[in-house]
Amino acid sequence: MSNNMIKKVSGLEILVHWTMAISFFILVISGFGFMFHMEGVGSAFGGFEQMKTIHNWVGVVFAAALFLTIFHYLPVALKFTSDDAAWLSKAGGYLSKKAQLPPQDEINAGQKLLYIAVLVLGTAISVTGVIIWLRPDMANLNSAVLLSFLIHNISFVLFLIVIPVHIYMATLANPGTLRIMISGTVPVEWARKRHAKWVQKMGY
Amino acid sequence: MGRMSLLVSPELCIGCRGCQTACKEWNQLEGEKTENRGTTENPPDLSPNTFNKIRYVELPSEKNPMRLLFVSQRCMHCGDAGCMKICPAPGALFRTDEGAVAYDKDKCIGCRLCVTSCPFNVPRYDAQNKISKCHLCADRISQGLTPSCAKTCPTGALRYGDRDELLGLAKKAGYSKVYGEKDLEGLGAVYAFTDSPKIYGMSDSPAIPEAVVFWNNVLKPLSYLGLAGVAAAAVLHYVAFGPKKIEEVKKDE
Ligand code: HEM
Ligand code: SF4
Ligand code: SF4
Ligand code: SF4
Repeated sequence: MSNNMIKKVSGLEILVHWTMAISFFILVISGFGFMFHMEGVGSAFGGFEQMKTIHNWVGVVFAAALFLTIFHYLPVALKFTSDDAAWLSKAGGYLSKKAQLPPQDEINAGQKLLYIAVLVLGTAISVTGVIIWLRPDMANLNSAVLLSFLIHNISFVLFLIVIPVHIYMATLANPGTLRIMISGTVPVEWARKRHAKWVQKMGY
Repeated sequence: MGRMSLLVSPELCIGCRGCQTACKEWNQLEGEKTENRGTTENPPDLSPNTFNKIRYVELPSEKNPMRLLFVSQRCMHCGDAGCMKICPAPGALFRTDEGAVAYDKDKCIGCRLCVTSCPFNVPRYDAQNKISKCHLCADRISQGLTPSCAKTCPTGALRYGDRDELLGLAKKAGYSKVYGEKDLEGLGAVYAFTDSPKIYGMSDSPAIPEAVVFWNNVLKPLSYLGLAGVAAAAVLHYVAFGPKKIEEVKKDE
């Protein structure tokens, strides 16, 4: 690695991230197709019956990627620090042109929140999806299927708020961030401005 | 065309189950081997091969120790049908001109969500995992014929006709409770009862599960409103604040 670059995420993390993102989009598009009876979406997937099969199995891929994501930051994300409090009280500096933020560690409070939201919503949507898919025949379990249907759709709606915010933050709102999920590395100077504590810990 | 429906009058039913046989005959449904369960009610439940059945309700009382009610059970062809509301496959369930809730097995994707959403526990599944239930003989009524079960009924306990006329008929005959007139935007199988629906084993106020109603009325619109809201907020944010100014942050460090 060249001297002025710093490695932020591993190749595996990048692979997992894009597996999760691509499966997510396939699931969202087919999900919309089902919910609003979009014939065009249905035929793009080769008919609604095939779309169901694809939705189910891509869901399995998504769940697998989600599972691997647990190992990325879980201990870090669950630790609430004074830096996070400061970050949150200033809304990450996003709602002001001159907010001052204390130096941040590997990931800031916003990134922690995204990470936790993805894990919680992802788990909820995956587990309930499996229940709806492999629903037991017994009618007395109908209420379990109904509850799953409800949770599956609530998670869907929340995901559709969380992920667009994430995409905006990772692209337009923070130019240069996207590199992290492409090459895994960023210029040291760029990282120092956002994750000063972490860059220092890494010995730069 | 006005809405068509069935009128079921349990007090007129003699429990001959001609309707069950007639349905099997018209729809070419196989018979089912069942067991002696100590009752002549048979088969025990609706199935992919049994679209209708007579439910026996035994109501012994001092006045009438032998009181038996025969209640015909089948798809109710709800005006506001839970099965149609939840079904994710366009065209799998559809409403005919006569008001029946019919289905196209080729379009059914076998998700069984309709089972979850039906207030009357009607839809069943065939071996190919496709929906299977009474379709009000959609193929007959579209030709102006009477559904097979009603055609067979010897006592008039099952009648088919213009829904308003049938409702008028039941009221004129003095039935104290006409079931299904208003429920779920009117059922396509209305019942002439002389007692409370509970006695006949029917729920007083059938309803589509709240989770399905909430999903339909709130979550569905929210799913694209949320998306559009974030997109709009992102544009506004970008115009008002623009990309993050890292240089400024650096100065403070
Ligand atoms: C076009 C779509 C997307 C883009 C451009 C994108 C971009 C990024 C970038 C650049 C990062 C690294 C941020 C950093 O470390 O500072 C990141 C992290 C992350 N993204 Fe995305 N992302 C997208 C879609 C998604 C989707 C659909 C999900 C989840 C369903 C998701 C979940 C995550 C998570 C959990 C992280 C935290 C790091 C990790 O666990 O690997 N992203 N994303
Ligand atoms: S009774 Fe059930 S299956 Fe029949 S129309 Fe009503 S909701 Fe659908
Ligand atoms: S099982 Fe078939 S008819 Fe029932 S909801 Fe699913 S696609 Fe629709
Ligand atoms: S209307 Fe037709 S399909 Fe329905 S129960 Fe009667 S005979 Fe069977």
